[in-house]
Amino acid sequence: MKRRSFVKGLITASAGSVIASPWVARKAFAAAHSDTVKLGCLFSSSGTMANIEGRLNYVARMAAEELNAKGGVLGKMVEVVTTDPGSDWPLYAQLGRQLIQQEGVAATFGCWTSVSRKSVLPVVEQNDALLYYPLHFEGEENSKNVVYLNSPPSSSVLPAVEYLMSEEGGSAKRFFMLGSDYVWPRTINQQLKGYWASKGIEADAWREEYVPVGHSNFQTLINEIRAFADQPGGQPVVILTVVGNSIPDFFREYVNQGISAFDVPVLGLDALEADFEGLDTTALVGHLNCWAYLQNAPGARNQEFLSAWANYVNANGVPYRPDVAIDPMVSTYDGVHLWALAAEKAGSFDVPAVREASAGLTFACPSGYEISMTAENTYVKRGVFIGSLNESQGFDILWQSPDTPDPVPFSPYMNA
Amino acid sequence: MPFRFLRLQGFLAAAILLLATLVALPAAAQDRADIVAEICSGDFAAQQSALSRLAGAGVEAGSEGALWARRIVEAFEGRSLRCGDGLAVIDTPDGPLRASTLEPAEGVDTSTLSAPSVNLRLRAVAASAGAVLRLFTEESVAARAEAAAYVDRRREALTPEILAAAVERETDAALRDTLSTLRASLLLADPDPVNRIAAIEAIAQDATLRNRTAIAEALAGETDAAVLAAGEKAMAGIDRTLALGKVLATLYSGASYASVLFLAALGLAIIFGLMGVINLAQGELIMIGAYAAWFTQEAIRAALPGLLDYYLILAIPVSFLAAALVGLLMEVLVIRRLYDRPLMTLLATWAISLLLINTVRVTVGSQNLEFYQPAYVSGGFPVLGDFIMTSNRLFAIAVALFAFIAVVILLRRSLFGMNVRAVTQNRAMAGAAGIDTRRTDMMAFALGSGLAGLAGLALSPLYNVNPGMGTGFIVDSFMVVVLGGVGSLVGAIVAALGIGQINVVIEPIYGAVAAKVLVLLLVIVFIQWRPEGLFAPKGRR
Repeated sequence: MKRRSFVKGLITASAGSVIASPWVARKAFAAAHSDTVKLGCLFSSSGTMANIEGRLNYVARMAAEELNAKGGVLGKMVEVVTTDPGSDWPLYAQLGRQLIQQEGVAATFGCWTSVSRKSVLPVVEQNDALLYYPLHFEGEENSKNVVYLNSPPSSSVLPAVEYLMSEEGGSAKRFFMLGSDYVWPRTINQQLKGYWASKGIEADAWREEYVPVGHSNFQTLINEIRAFADQPGGQPVVILTVVGNSIPDFFREYVNQGISAFDVPVLGLDALEADFEGLDTTALVGHLNCWAYLQNAPGARNQEFLSAWANYVNANGVPYRPDVAIDPMVSTYDGVHLWALAAEKAGSFDVPAVREASAGLTFACPSGYEISMTAENTYVKRGVFIGSLNESQGFDILWQSPDTPDPVPFSPYMNA
Repeated sequence: MPFRFLRLQGFLAAAILLLATLVALPAAAQDRADIVAEICSGDFAAQQSALSRLAGAGVEAGSEGALWARRIVEAFEGRSLRCGDGLAVIDTPDGPLRASTLEPAEGVDTSTLSAPSVNLRLRAVAASAGAVLRLFTEESVAARAEAAAYVDRRREALTPEILAAAVERETDAALRDTLSTLRASLLLADPDPVNRIAAIEAIAQDATLRNRTAIAEALAGETDAAVLAAGEKAMAGIDRTLALGKVLATLYSGASYASVLFLAALGLAIIFGLMGVINLAQGELIMIGAYAAWFTQEAIRAALPGLLDYYLILAIPVSFLAAALVGLLMEVLVIRRLYDRPLMTLLATWAISLLLINTVRVTVGSQNLEFYQPAYVSGGFPVLGDFIMTSNRLFAIAVALFAFIAVVILLRRSLFGMNVRAVTQNRAMAGAAGIDTRRTDMMAFALGSGLAGLAGLALSPLYNVNPGMGTGFIVDSFMVVVLGGVGSLVGAIVAALGIGQINVVIEPIYGAVAAKVLVLLLVIVFIQWRPEGLFAPKGRR
């Protein structure tokens, strides 16, 4: 065939993949019934985020089943409508609009990356809908149409960095920031730089590098990290904000180049138990993360959640591991219950009423903390955990906050 | 009188002797209990000093003490040491042992006790102390050498005294030398300039940036001219090695990236290059190859666990055949019917790729598969300066070379290869000469698919293996084939090397995002200038 027609064809095909791969899956049996209330899910089950985002669909379903087992919400059965935005950020907006306008969902649970949330944001604001967002994120946003279920940097990243800089955490002095190239890593790093500057740390003590989303060849960058680490100036650490499948790729190369957590610990801000499923973690022991929930969180409430998830996975043939639970799963689970509590309190599914009723609600989170919605905005007060990777692909708890700190949406370090 | 005096004397002597033994025994035991209590205290400084004392046990308390200390350090590191209300035990599969005596602790419920937290700093000290104690307790020379290499890197618990004792005890001559060098390198801050010079020289033997930094930091406060001169000389030597190592590292990174590109593109070079079929399911054939390797691994793990180390080799035919079979089915069922409708082929193969991805997702699941990593594809070995050759990438380079040579021989030297070349150059003429062109197409497609499967196997130690893994390769592999010149295998290898090398040269300077942009830009400019690619095949198409 002629090359020109091939190139044209390739362009058509790749453009087509954007439009055609996702689909809205409905449960046909319930669509026509009015004795149900619908919740929408915007989590990718394909593309680079599929491995971690996909499981949130199932958690939302599991939480809905729990509600239904107790007779539903306001006498109506909860039905979960899932979609597949295919890790393609603009598609989140399109499917979000579809969920709100065509499916008429009472609330939407969705997005992992901040760039996908930013793309859905105008949609929920125009339609005055509610988006429950389960990830810790960069802050700098305060929409009345988004319930921020997880923590902004003030109550997740900063405590972890502070810990690394303490005597006990290894007295970190120099920082290599490596992130995927989009809004979350860039904003987080901006705030960190402001924070360090406020502590009197000079700008030559840090370096900032970005890779394309989905990047997998970390050879050169890890060479750079080694060179950075071997220079004088004190203990180096890596603040890792790459996302999705880049995380295991990064760690695989890190180990192969012989760097251990003792030499240069990595604080993986998006690193989860699930990211290490395909890896042998014995050589990775000691690397860190920080979340509002870790699977090893103490308490009966956590055991209850873990066994509920394991049962759900086994009973429904869910294609994820029954013995791995990650923070965004718990956040999504909390979100569904917080929404139900608010709707019960408001006596209605109307968004303004639900939002108003949300203020001050509390819920016993599997993390062991009694989490609560703030009164002045739609943030949630969560506890903080710092985890240290162990041999069995899990995180041991190194430190946890004594209580649930107040979330600060707008960081004072942003423009410092 | 004398008699009684003697008796008294004897009595006193006996009493003193008894007292001495009574004191001596509990003294050691008391020491041990103290150390264990400090480790259990949860106080960071106390834990650190306790670990240092444990590391010194090899020198002070002899081999029995060293063995005990090693046991404690390992239990602490492995979190099997458990403490609580004045009690410290080591949790073993056969029941708990008292930490200070290593005697069975009967009636102790370990579930009420908790392991002291091990933060990064303590873990580093513990790892160092453990290696020091291995130096004193391991029977085999190889194990001691390994411990020596480890303490060379992790010196938290190391002191010159400990090393002096280790040198003293060491029986193996080569290891003695290593340890002496290591000891010399610890004397960088020694009052005697001769020792400082010896330390600099010992450190400079291993030319890494880390060691250069150590020397530079030591020289900062140095006044002795001879030491300064030795330091400058050592650093200049290290700098030369580092520069050379950096060049090698860049070349190696480029070559390894090129091997990935080439492996992904090789099958396509045949399917697209020789047959002109645009196969958008090529990436999924790579994925099938990787999954076949995983199933082989699981089968070997279940049936012949002894051969698990060699599963990557044993899986070579499996991955190749699995992907070739899928390719064969694709050709027979779909592509054969669309040879004269290229755009339809494009859509059909794309549909097949979605079909394959989702079939795997539904049947196996979308999580990353866990591959056992045998020694030959994990870790790396330092070559020169800071250049570390990583084994998994070396494996990919080896497979790429092997595949290239095999394919070239197959195409140039076999009857099948001759048929393929004949059909490529002039289909009608080849048919007229009696070559079954349909069958040749089918076999060539299967070969191209099988090579993609082989790529999946070779890439499994490098990349995440999940249903979507193939999509990332498709654009890159088309780029390599088009740039190299459609139909040219040599072109593909040169294009892969070029793209790989340019990429790793740009990346450290402008960042990974810009590198990607610049490479694509260069490819566009190049294609504009030479639309037929690097090596345009001669002949009619």
